[in-house]
Amino acid sequence: MRRCTECRVDVEGDWSRCPLCSASLAGEESPGPIPAVPLRFSRRRVFKALTITSILVILASFAAQLLFDREAAGIGALRSVWLGVCAMWLLAIMMVRKRSNVAKSTVYFVVLGGLVAVYWDYLTGWGAWSLTYAVPMLCISSIAALLITVAVMRIDAGDHIVYSGLTVLLGLTPVLFLGLGWVTSPLPSLICGALSFFTLVSLQQTTGREARHELRKRLHL
Amino acid sequence: MSGPAWVRLDNASNIFLAARSDSDPKVFRMSAELDHEVDPARLQAALDETYDRYPLYHVVLRSGVFWYYLQDSDLRPVVTAEDQHTCAPIYQPGRRNLLFRVMHHRRRIILEIFHALSDGTGALWFLTDLLEAYCATGTPRMDERVEEPTTHGLSVDSFGHYFRRRRRSGSADAFRAAVASSELPALAPAPVPPDTHVAKERPRGAKVFRVRGRLTPDSRTRVVELTMPAGQVLALARAEGVQLTMYLTALFFEAVRLASGGLGARRTLTASVPVNLRQFFPSTSPRNFFATVRVEHTYGEGADDVGSIGRQLEAQFRPKVTPEALERKVRRLIRLERMPVLRVLPRPFKDLVLGIVNRGVNRSLTVALSNLGRVALPEPAESRVGRMLFHVSAARPQFCAMSHAGLLTVSFTSPFSDTGHVREFARLLTGSGVDVTVAAARVTEDELAAVDA
Repeated sequence: MRRCTECRVDVEGDWSRCPLCSASLAGEESPGPIPAVPLRFSRRRVFKALTITSILVILASFAAQLLFDREAAGIGALRSVWLGVCAMWLLAIMMVRKRSNVAKSTVYFVVLGGLVAVYWDYLTGWGAWSLTYAVPMLCISSIAALLITVAVMRIDAGDHIVYSGLTVLLGLTPVLFLGLGWVTSPLPSLICGALSFFTLVSLQQTTGREARHELRKRLHL
Repeated sequence: MSGPAWVRLDNASNIFLAARSDSDPKVFRMSAELDHEVDPARLQAALDETYDRYPLYHVVLRSGVFWYYLQDSDLRPVVTAEDQHTCAPIYQPGRRNLLFRVMHHRRRIILEIFHALSDGTGALWFLTDLLEAYCATGTPRMDERVEEPTTHGLSVDSFGHYFRRRRRSGSADAFRAAVASSELPALAPAPVPPDTHVAKERPRGAKVFRVRGRLTPDSRTRVVELTMPAGQVLALARAEGVQLTMYLTALFFEAVRLASGGLGARRTLTASVPVNLRQFFPSTSPRNFFATVRVEHTYGEGADDVGSIGRQLEAQFRPKVTPEALERKVRRLIRLERMPVLRVLPRPFKDLVLGIVNRGVNRSLTVALSNLGRVALPEPAESRVGRMLFHVSAARPQFCAMSHAGLLTVSFTSPFSDTGHVREFARLLTGSGVDVTVAAARVTEDELAAVDA
């Protein structure tokens, strides 16, 4: 019989590593009393297949929109629902995949949500509503959500600081749009820029050292 | 009377149907390891012989409007090689199959049963008879059990007969009368109202620690069997002045704590322990007849070594397993079962209600365990059978223990792939000088890939 010196147990069967602690086993293998039964399915693979299929369907749906006319009146209820379902599905997949890190999933949410809004705006004949309203509001609500999450949940600064910083920086982009004259109303961009700026300053003051340490670690060449 | 015999599945056994899930199909397994490779033909012959003596095992489970019911069938069980993982689902709605299976693998004879049919003790009777028949094939045997079919029976008549007989036997015990009038002596573990005694010990709001982990790839039960000399562990328990079951429970708590990497704010660990009611209220029915008792320990409030935990647990356990305490508990359950509102509720709603009750109970449980104790088999089986094992499908980390031939087996089952608590449990034992042997089923993709390679 094989033996695990870490656990000090004998192991029946043809295990090469200890089934309890994964340490290498020593000694001769003995016939195992339990047969190895193949998996009926693998949860991991099922999820992977579902995710890949979903993303392909979503991308195809977004691409298919280009075949239609680009007019605000022409998009119709059906295509709106179709786009809406695809956008929601995309964000849901992303949330599930990144569920372990709230700050990271927020960055993904802002970027993907913003891109979908801009694309939708483009499909409806570019009224600039996405850059004027959707993106700033997305940024404002995300920053608010992050601030609440960090205050309410116990998250190590190291785990969220980089992504929180990224979200706040993304919150400054509407000011850029404003400067380039891509927006029709300046107010949402200004509010978003101001909120981002103050959050950035307070983040810098409270967790600046941790942030710099974390950045040095992650950007190490 | 026309058509096949049938009997209603009581509310208490219904809990097993309501609480069934992909990862916990409410199946348990009892197996015995022989001193030679199992001969399938002989096993089949032994099964045929034993099967005829247990009419209860002939039933299929069907669903009515208000209740599930067990219906007699003409099906015959067929012995198969072990080609499924442990405690694979048996009952599937709509399929009329037997509620147990008999398999073999190398030297093991394996019996798996759907829990709504029978409990550990009932299954042990069947397995004992099966082993006896198997080991006796070829040698002429006095068959002294000719009358037994009625006691292991299904039909309403034989149950009626059994309870009438018991009442006639002069017992005016209120509990027995209550059981008798409840038609079937089946008591499920889950719908146990919170124990007031426990509630007093633990301040309200103290959180119960629950083990979390990654589910196995195809929802199968993860099983790890630990085999050890019974004498060595008993000596350890005696040295601490604790009875074996509570000593193992204390070890289990400690193992869960060590594997958790810090309990955090949830420092209370609880365990549900089934108690065989037949030891207090003699019954020969193989149907479910047990109640569960809950014990708990809160870390950080006094001595936390295994011996102290064991003694605390035993102090909680002992008063709960007196006939009087169990009788109170059982009466409550029977009252619940006989509640008119619950009786007229259509079955799907019963399932829903029981499922919600079960989830509530689950939230207050960290682990579960069951110890069948030392098993003695009739000769010639006794001398030909080595260790015996007991597995149960689990919704939370659990262990089942039994001992035979001087070997104590502790089989850990869990819906999760993780084996951290088993590792700590084994190391606690080996650290105290116990010789532990590990047998595990391959569950994860990596483990199974190692076999194909």
